[in-house]
Amino acid sequence: MEQKQELQILKGFERDSEWFHKNVNKLREQNFTNKFVAISNEKPIASDKNIDIVIKAVEKEGKNPAYIFIEFVYPEGFTLLL
Amino acid sequence: MRIHLQVYDFANGLRAMAHFLVISEKPELFLPVKAIVDTGSPETILGLIDLKKMRISSIRFKEIESRKYPICMGGGEVKTKILQGAKLKFGEDFECVMPVHIPVDEIGGTAQSTILGVDFLTKNNFKFVFEPNKREAYFEREDETS
Repeated sequence: MEQKQELQILKGFERDSEWFHKNVNKLREQNFTNKFVAISNEKPIASDKNIDIVIKAVEKEGKNPAYIFIEFVYPEGFTLLL
Repeated sequence: MRIHLQVYDFANGLRAMAHFLVISEKPELFLPVKAIVDTGSPETILGLIDLKKMRISSIRFKEIESRKYPICMGGGEVKTKILQGAKLKFGEDFECVMPVHIPVDEIGGTAQSTILGVDFLTKNNFKFVFEPNKREAYFEREDETS
C-alpha cells in the first residue's frame, strides 16, 4: 500500500474517532449504550452488544472492518480503570 | 520532535489518546488503532476491539510467539502473544518498530481498550506531557541532531 493511501486510512479513522468522542452523549440518547458501534464517515453504520456481529455487519456494508472505527458506548458515569 | 495526541472524555474521565497504524508483515496486518496512553502499563497491548478487527485465522494466530507469563489486565489474568517487529506509524513524521502484545482471550467480557504503554516511551526516548485542563497531550524528545 502506498504511503498516501495509508495516511488517508489513518486520517479517516481519526476523524471518525473524533466524531465518536464528541457525539457519545447523542449516541447514548439514540439507544447505543452498552453496544459496540461502528462509525464510518461520521455516521454509525452498525451496532450490537456482540462485537462479532458488528464486524460481520461492517463486512456486509462492503467495508474492511480493520479500517473502521469501532468503540463501545459505556453508560453515562461508568468509570473505566485500566 | 513532538507528536500531538488527542484528549477526549472517555468512560468518565479525560484520557490522552494516540491514533496510529499497526503494520506487520508476518502475520500480515494493517490496522489503524486508537490507544489510551497509560503510564501505569509497562507494555503496549491491543484491546478486544482491535483483536477482533484483525480477523487473524487460528492457524496464523498459532504462529505468533506466545508470552511466557500472563498479564494482569482489567482485574483478570490474560495470556498474550507477542507481535514482534510491529511497525507503529504516527502520521507522516514518525514510526517505530517494537513488540506489541495481543491478548489470547477476551478479558472478563469487557471491551478492554488498546494501551500504549511505557515501553513505547522508553524505546523511543519520549517524554509524555499531559495537561488535562488544557486538553493538551503530546510525546516529545530532543532532536537527535541538536
